[in-house]
Amino acid sequence: MEAKYKQYTDTELVSLCLQGDSRAWEALILRYRRLIYSIPVRFSFTSADASDVFQAVCLKLIEHLHELKDETKVSAWLITTTTRQCIHVRSQRFRETGGNEDELEEPADPSENVESIRVQVEEQQTVRESVDQLPDRCRQLIELLYFDNRSPSYEDVGRMLEMPVASIGPTRARCLDKLRTLLRRRGIK
Amino acid sequence: MRHLTVENIMTYIDGQSLLAEKPAVEQHLSSCSDCSELRQELHSLVSHLQRDTACEPPSDLVQWGVELFQPVMQPAAGGRIRKIIAALVFDTFEQPALAGVRRVGAPPRQLLFRAGDVDVDVKIEAMEANDRITLVGQVLSSGAKFFDNTPVKLESHGIVRYKTRTNLVGEFSFDEVPKDTYHLSVDLPEGQITLFCVHRAAA
Repeated sequence: MEAKYKQYTDTELVSLCLQGDSRAWEALILRYRRLIYSIPVRFSFTSADASDVFQAVCLKLIEHLHELKDETKVSAWLITTTTRQCIHVRSQRFRETGGNEDELEEPADPSENVESIRVQVEEQQTVRESVDQLPDRCRQLIELLYFDNRSPSYEDVGRMLEMPVASIGPTRARCLDKLRTLLRRRGIK
Repeated sequence: MRHLTVENIMTYIDGQSLLAEKPAVEQHLSSCSDCSELRQELHSLVSHLQRDTACEPPSDLVQWGVELFQPVMQPAAGGRIRKIIAALVFDTFEQPALAGVRRVGAPPRQLLFRAGDVDVDVKIEAMEANDRITLVGQVLSSGAKFFDNTPVKLESHGIVRYKTRTNLVGEFSFDEVPKDTYHLSVDLPEGQITLFCVHRAAA
């Protein structure tokens, strides 16, 4: 994907999509893939159900692009739509197993209600977007240190980024400081 | 002691401060509100990052989502056809069912799509017996104009599966086609109007 698409706002991407620009659509999906997928995961869905939700939401997004062209918060629309889709799937699954729908007010973990999922997912998306805005070197370092499921050691990180192990700590500190500034601007402390 | 650096604080948060330095760092943090605030902020930032459970969806799933757009929306090679995506403005399946009304089989689905001053009215009826659907519709303009002899295509998985043309009053019909996810497109002189996912295959 071209770098400029990463910089476009949601409104710009939606507008480009409506002109038939498939790269803008790709940028939208890449921007929000984790947000969409993380909601069914928080609902403790199986990977098959989470994939169904993801597909359904992508289809809905395409169907509703027109309505979103003036929308500044595509993320809010996606969170609402994905949450609704999750509730729908959960209630379907519950009916299939003969469960009582009255018990379906809350997600699998009762301590985590739908609103708290929304807040967390939105916050998470902001953090991810801010990480994406970091200079490449910083972004790669933060992703390797905090998002990589393989939990690479400093030695591994050093090899992957071709940097001395001793400079990882100071570089991480500088990158976190930049990230902190970006998040402050977006109201997250 | 001068203010702590982000690196000092991160080393402290990681529990990696040298034993000799630790008391001094702690003492400074307890007496300096700026550094204490910075420590809290960094601690919270790292928690945010570590708590990030936003799973990465499987790459083939993401690819599926990306490709979803391509079959109908990419401009044809060398073509200058203006492509317009119609907005769904009405769907009977979004309306609540009438209380007390019973019927056998699934009710037909009525959809209305709009692109500029062109409306495309679509009715989809499911044939439970043979797992097929019949899709009938009409292309209408807000003026008195009828779109007759207009090509209408039904696409799925990137391929045009069925083609027809509208009759004198802009009506078209696709009878008993297999259930699948379809995009419908109408080729007007002004451009091609696409109705995304006019019908979706059951999951």
